[in-house]
Amino acid sequence: MIKNRVKELRARFDYTQGELADIVGVTRQTIVALEKGSYTPSLLLAMNLAEVFKLPIEEIFTKEES
Amino acid sequence: MKMNIAVFLRIMLFISLSVMVYDYLKLEQSFIQMERGFIDGFSMYISPWPGNFFLITTLLFLLANIVIMINVWRNKNADKRSFLTFEYDVSDERAVGNTRKAVSHAFSILLIYSLLMIGSYMYIPNYFVDHIWYPLFTTASIPIVGLISYFIVYKVLQYK
Repeated sequence: MIKNRVKELRARFDYTQGELADIVGVTRQTIVALEKGSYTPSLLLAMNLAEVFKLPIEEIFTKEES
Repeated sequence: MKMNIAVFLRIMLFISLSVMVYDYLKLEQSFIQMERGFIDGFSMYISPWPGNFFLITTLLFLLANIVIMINVWRNKNADKRSFLTFEYDVSDERAVGNTRKAVSHAFSILLIYSLLMIGSYMYIPNYFVDHIWYPLFTTASIPIVGLISYFIVYKVLQYK
């Protein structure tokens, strides 16, 4: 299972879900699903998020043993 | 909303075509019965509404198709390569993934449903002569069941 810090980082950067969605090129529903942890993004989306938050991917997404 | 309209119009298209073909079949069947001497003559009222219904549905379907296609083309985030029919949501990678899952579920349901429908012909053979609607509407129900299954699965995945 993949856990992420998107919600926390989005709040830190003061983005709304819609704004972040526009920046990374997805719909707001995808950001909602990401934050809920019900969606595992593609590598491209993960890289785009890492670029926006200026962090390496592994600091945003972590693998968790289920 | 786009998906609701797309699925609704496609179902309406199948229904309207079936209703129109049904009228034609009834007429054809009466002619055959007359040729073979089962009846001396017949009178039939052909209502214009099935044809009008089909024409209106087709026009709405084409119009909606064009509008959605333009929207997909304008959306820079859309995965245009995955856009095959306008029921498919290609607005982003998650939508494309959900569409794939919904299509595969609908396909599985269709395999079972088609088997049941074909099997049902075995138990009601007289229906083909007496009630020509049976094979026509069971055939039309196959894509309709597929579309409804696709729609339900997609909506469940969308709000998951």
